[in-house]
Amino acid sequence: MVEKEDAIISEEEAAQYDRQIRLWGLDAQKRLRGSRVLLVGLGGLGAEVAKNLILAGVKGLTLLDHELVTEESCRAQFLIPVDALGQNRAQASLERAQFLNPMVEVEADTDKAEDKPDDFFLKFNAVCLTHCSRDFMVRVDQLCAPKNIKVFCGDVFGYHGYMFADLGQEHQYVEEKPKVVKQSEDANDGPEAKKPKVDPNETTMVKKTASFCSLKEALEVDWMGGKAKTNFKNIPVGYFLLQVLLKFRTDKGRDPQPDSYTEDSGLLLQMREDVLEAMGVSIDLLPPNFVSYCFSEMSPVCAVVGGVLGQEIVKVIFLTIYYAYFLPVLGPQTVPCLMNKLSKMTLQPSPSCCQRSVRKWPWTVGLGQK
Amino acid sequence: MVQLVGPLRKELADSVSSCRVLVVGAGGIGCELLKNLVLTGFRNIEVIDLDTIDVSNLNRQFLFQKKHVGKSKAQVAKESVVQFCPKANITAYHDSIMNPDYSVEFFRNFALVMNALDNRAARNHVNRMCLAADIPLIESGTAGYLGQVTIIKKGLTECYECQPKPTQKTFPGCTIRNTPSEPIHCIVWAKYLFNQLFGEEDADQEVSPDTADPEAAWDPSEAAARATASEQDGDIKRVSTKDWARSTGYDPVKLFNKLFKDDIMYLLTMDKLWRKRKAPLPLEWSELQKQGEHSHFSLVEEMLGGGLKDQHVLGVYGYSQLFSESVKTLSSQLAERGAGAELVWDKDDPPAMDFVTAAANLRMHVFSMNMKSRFDIKSMAGNIIPAIATTNAVIAGLIVLEALKVLSGDLDQCCTIFLNKQPNPKKKLLVPCALDPPNLNCYVCASKPEVTVRLNVSSTMIQTLQDKILKERFGMVAPDVQIEDGKGTILISSEEGETEGNNSKFLSDFGIRNGSRLQADDFLQDYTLLVNVLHSDELGKDMEFEVVGDAPDKAPTPSTQEEGKNITNGNKDSAQPSTSSTGNNMHCCRNNLCRLNSWRCSVCK
Repeated sequence: MVEKEDAIISEEEAAQYDRQIRLWGLDAQKRLRGSRVLLVGLGGLGAEVAKNLILAGVKGLTLLDHELVTEESCRAQFLIPVDALGQNRAQASLERAQFLNPMVEVEADTDKAEDKPDDFFLKFNAVCLTHCSRDFMVRVDQLCAPKNIKVFCGDVFGYHGYMFADLGQEHQYVEEKPKVVKQSEDANDGPEAKKPKVDPNETTMVKKTASFCSLKEALEVDWMGGKAKTNFKNIPVGYFLLQVLLKFRTDKGRDPQPDSYTEDSGLLLQMREDVLEAMGVSIDLLPPNFVSYCFSEMSPVCAVVGGVLGQEIVKVIFLTIYYAYFLPVLGPQTVPCLMNKLSKMTLQPSPSCCQRSVRKWPWTVGLGQK
Repeated sequence: MVQLVGPLRKELADSVSSCRVLVVGAGGIGCELLKNLVLTGFRNIEVIDLDTIDVSNLNRQFLFQKKHVGKSKAQVAKESVVQFCPKANITAYHDSIMNPDYSVEFFRNFALVMNALDNRAARNHVNRMCLAADIPLIESGTAGYLGQVTIIKKGLTECYECQPKPTQKTFPGCTIRNTPSEPIHCIVWAKYLFNQLFGEEDADQEVSPDTADPEAAWDPSEAAARATASEQDGDIKRVSTKDWARSTGYDPVKLFNKLFKDDIMYLLTMDKLWRKRKAPLPLEWSELQKQGEHSHFSLVEEMLGGGLKDQHVLGVYGYSQLFSESVKTLSSQLAERGAGAELVWDKDDPPAMDFVTAAANLRMHVFSMNMKSRFDIKSMAGNIIPAIATTNAVIAGLIVLEALKVLSGDLDQCCTIFLNKQPNPKKKLLVPCALDPPNLNCYVCASKPEVTVRLNVSSTMIQTLQDKILKERFGMVAPDVQIEDGKGTILISSEEGETEGNNSKFLSDFGIRNGSRLQADDFLQDYTLLVNVLHSDELGKDMEFEVVGDAPDKAPTPSTQEEGKNITNGNKDSAQPSTSSTGNNMHCCRNNLCRLNSWRCSVCK
């Protein structure tokens, strides 16, 4: 999946990445170094994801955005210089993004994402879509997931945010499980090692396969069907909020803006009725006060969603997954985040489970890669 | 009609842009936090950090670039932020928050204080300052994938010190000196050795065999006899390690043979120690050199394996060479600095790290333990906590969200939030937990805090009371102590030079005995603690004092001589456990900010 990476890691990389190599291991760092990621949309959330991926040390990151810098985008984002009004957003973000880590190949693409041909997306190991229309996200997901290109989507609407991941029908990964050490085979870590114990630093890597549902399926769940009804109370209000906001984006070609608060909030309330009715669910599932909390992009929410999203992308590049498609959920009275819980996850332990006792770091993962 | 300024309602946007806030720390969390604050609309920010930028910071402290290495974190952070938000009014202090310039009055200027620290001493201090000033404090911490945010508000919530935190793990002297059984014991020994040879000598950091080890004696009188015998031999006990080394000109071969042959052979004579343990095997320099020449292979070949150079484990011969080279380098550094000079151990100083790597590994080999790579030893010796950008990004985002609640006057909506590595059974990655009310018996925030300390009044010095008990254990920075004897006899004054003469006297010299009460004040922290003295002749070995009343499962391990500043010399993570423990299911962010078993909380279970 990733490019064949150089075996040698330079002194410079070792020094700069030291604290993260100590967490996820040298092999994981090398995999990162062989991966190319596409990031669409350089708003507040996009900038956070860009920062996180660049700092992590991917091989290349392409910033794709056709929008121009406005005053609002200057305020929302830390990569764009204050004198860049009217420039292309990706282009304006490029210099500061590159400064974050000169060892990553960062490039800016000013085309409209929707106009890109299919094969453009196939050059990447993972794509991350922000600020994209529903149809476009579905298209990219359907195109990439079957080809084992990992697809991530995310947005921030005011205080609300969500992320979605489609890692394909047959996503192979490795899960870390603590190992019970009965008798240390290398008997010489001192006399203490002979005692049986569960050592949290001693883990086993277990190969697994998971299957994810597509974005289309996730967004088109039939709520009127019997099975879905029983899941109601587990689906946070955010799911319905997302549906409304995606509709707004499709219909208006933009997100709700503070400058047109009156008009936009009226529209949102109307769309709330339409969308929920079409889905066959009660309008009470989405209380109307949501309107004043979904405008613009809250920087701390971008940081939280961007942090989770960034880490998920990084983990997938490692070919390990602890949990792929969850979302942060804060307390109901604080910042409701949306959750995609609809991905099916079927675990089929592959017959050749590898059970090696390895140190927590740096661990080597022996996966039979396709 | 609701009016928005960006994503915020106008009233909130106005208080955000006008209030003053303080950020303590400009590192991993601090950089992310400053960015979030200005993008949210905060305009009056003060940031303080005593540290300078290191290359290992660059994987996450994104406001810094390679060209900034060596410069002040607070200063460069300010400059970088102002670039993308020129309207932000940021004041940067390259200073320690514990400096008395930052008085309670200083803290009162702020609507809110946010910690972005990495050590307990500073957290304790800021906790007290915010209690004294009655300013809300947002505490946070991260380690690896884990993190936590919480609020501290006087009278409303627990303060940072309401619950006792586990203290740094320490090891008994005889384990370090006589019977190491784990690599960490050898690493601690090697750090002690560094100090004994090149740094500040400390009586609590002996490296020579401990003849008074109670385990070694077949009968009690024997231990005393051994102790006398060794003194008559004129060995280490009479001549300091440093003086002895100097007398040999820091000859690496002589040092090697003393530490890894002679001292080991001495240990072997204490045969009772080896009845149930594998006995150590001495090493001899010239023998090792002969063997080594045959089996030595080049490092270049190893590197083609693709691992980090530091992750390779050399053989015994290789480490003997490393030992010799580092001793030569360090001793010439010492000589260059002239008489009375002392080196300070720093994990990022290559010869210092080489020395500990070599010495620890040689000792591990002697005691039949598998040797470790420099990479691993650096983690343990340097208390390195692995860190990544995304965890800090999430936590800093949560800090600002809590800050907004505080500014809106919605403190009742605040909570503690834990960031897990994996979603819990309820599929939550971020787990909120209700805030606890203050502990009425807290020795910091209770109305008249009191503690009881068990110690031996005839053998505890005033210096120990000041440094180990009041400063280290109870977090005071500049204590003033008087005896509650009706006369207010002054024992310790925070003013320099006033009570130095008392330092080596014992408590009993001042009439302090069982039941005496001492009043300790730290005026900077506006903190008064009443100490009840409980005299005991029978404290455990290596235990100088014990705080009575700590719940057993939360009690600190006995505070011993080993818990000295030199164990983590030069490392800003000064109160970290000596093995970095970020196990999969433990919440253990820097300095145990969070409680363990947090998901048993009644809100989130």
